[in-house]
Amino acid sequence: MDETIEDKNKGSENIEDDSDFNIDFTTSSAINRVSLKFLIVYIPIFWFSGIIVATFWYGYTEGKQPWIIKLLFLPIIFLAFTFLFIISCFFFSKLLLILINLIHLPKEGIFRTEKGDTDFEFWRLRTEIKKIVLWLIRNSPLPWIDVIAFRWFGVSMDFSSHLNDAWCDSEFIKFGSNVTIGQGAAIMSSMVVGNYLIIKRIIFEDFSLVGGQSTIAPGTHFGKDTVLGAVSVTTLNQKLEDGWIYSGIPARKLKLNQYAEMRRDIIQKVDVDEEEKTDIEHEVNIDEDKKHLIEGNKGGVKK
Amino acid sequence: VSVPNSMRVGPFCATVLAKKKYLLLYIILIWISLFPAILEVWWYWQLLWNDIRPLHFYVFLPLYFIVMYITTVFAAILFAKILLIIVNAFHKPREGVFLRDPADKDYRYWSLRNTIKKWPTWLAHKFPFPFLDNICFKMFGVKTKFSNSLFEGWVDTEYIEFGKNVVVGQGAIIQSSVIIGNFLIIKKTIIEENVRIGAHVIIMPGTHIGKNCILNTWSSTMVGQDLEEGWVYNGGPAKKFKKNRFFEDIPIEKLTKTVGDLDGLLKKYDEQYVIRHVKKKIPLKERRIHIRKEKNEEKPEEKTEKKD
Repeated sequence: MDETIEDKNKGSENIEDDSDFNIDFTTSSAINRVSLKFLIVYIPIFWFSGIIVATFWYGYTEGKQPWIIKLLFLPIIFLAFTFLFIISCFFFSKLLLILINLIHLPKEGIFRTEKGDTDFEFWRLRTEIKKIVLWLIRNSPLPWIDVIAFRWFGVSMDFSSHLNDAWCDSEFIKFGSNVTIGQGAAIMSSMVVGNYLIIKRIIFEDFSLVGGQSTIAPGTHFGKDTVLGAVSVTTLNQKLEDGWIYSGIPARKLKLNQYAEMRRDIIQKVDVDEEEKTDIEHEVNIDEDKKHLIEGNKGGVKK
Repeated sequence: VSVPNSMRVGPFCATVLAKKKYLLLYIILIWISLFPAILEVWWYWQLLWNDIRPLHFYVFLPLYFIVMYITTVFAAILFAKILLIIVNAFHKPREGVFLRDPADKDYRYWSLRNTIKKWPTWLAHKFPFPFLDNICFKMFGVKTKFSNSLFEGWVDTEYIEFGKNVVVGQGAIIQSSVIIGNFLIIKKTIIEENVRIGAHVIIMPGTHIGKNCILNTWSSTMVGQDLEEGWVYNGGPAKKFKKNRFFEDIPIEKLTKTVGDLDGLLKKYDEQYVIRHVKKKIPLKERRIHIRKEKNEEKPEEKTEKKD
């Protein structure tokens, strides 16, 4: 077995040419260097939204209702306060984000990960601010509403698609309708490679599906009805064609997506049936001994 | 950005309970570490409520809540650390290969250490500020810097050394101890400066990663593997993919061009993933003989390497 291990570590003998600079691998969009000065932003967000909750709590305790009614409504009040806290956190962080975006507009491209680079600094600041609200919503008893948070933060999507079970960057992503994203998938519109930060838009067309634990690199374009299998990875700027099932590292064509065709058939059939329903109203298939009931409804003579 | 709902378990040590009585210790730890917070509430109440100044009370309550949480975390870390020192005095933690059986002392104490560390790590990770679990890691014997972002992955809490600017990707697992079959392996993992670990990477105990390395997504290392500095690694077990020249000054036009030759790339990836099975095809009969031979020899370390 030792021989094979040595073979693996040899690797390819690379000649120094431009192909070295091709980014044909995928890393991660986890934040590069946590800087404590950005975390100061959290304290006002927490404090102000906490004050709002505290005022409501004051009103609740000072109310003139008998104590038994107060006790009865306590659980629901607690639930309401959790969501009040989350929504106000959400509101304040959105305000901050608007202010930050006024100072520096987020844009796609390749930037340097140095302290002087404004794009890099603001990318870090944006992610830090967004993180807290998304964290709160995902830990709340109603995690599905994180779609609203993503929508506010710059991901265009609606409630037909969901990314509740995935790591997902919260900007430069466009969802069509009915997109499904599997558990543990990482969708990254930003990626740090060495000294460079890459930000590129990801587009999901309608009915595309991403398998569990797969990783999606920035710049990936999902066609309509495209399926990406579990444990697969796309490379930078990869285009996945319409109606194909992709799989592997990096993603390659596996076979045509027949299920998409089947689904289309079903939808067409339903349409036709409904049309027929309006045309042939009287030829309903009923037992002979129950036909008089329909006639009776029409105003016919009963037996 | 945020850890998904179905996987919000955080950086945990493996939750193996060698003996049920360790749970008692765990509960006691929770109990003790909540006392400072309760004391603080009482003190706050005394200070601001008695003078009939509810406005102050309510305005600073949210801020005080954060303080309370942080003190709870620090109390948990403190008491856990004291317990750990006591436990380590009885039996010093050491590296090596141990039997996975409650009769084995090392296995038992490893499990006990993890049980003690669990409550503070859980508590710290439940707080949305990412630096709190860095403090936790530092206190429990992981060498790390505050600038490292270990928030998104799973990281073991002992026998790990991080350099500067290490980034652990989403869902990556960094282990210093692993259970394979009937054995528990504890080995020191060292990760040096500027290493970027991609999403879903699995790093096994004993791995040494050199400076300026990049690990592609879904690559994994073997027990005791050594990764040279300045390379991009890919595949499981990780192999050299190409030289990491992304720390140089490159004109940005060169970076922007997309991969033209996708078939060539697929071939490059295929070589790294498939060859292992294609090259060495042992027929079933020979394989059985091979396994029998190994059983007779009984060398646990070799076995574990094979199973990766």
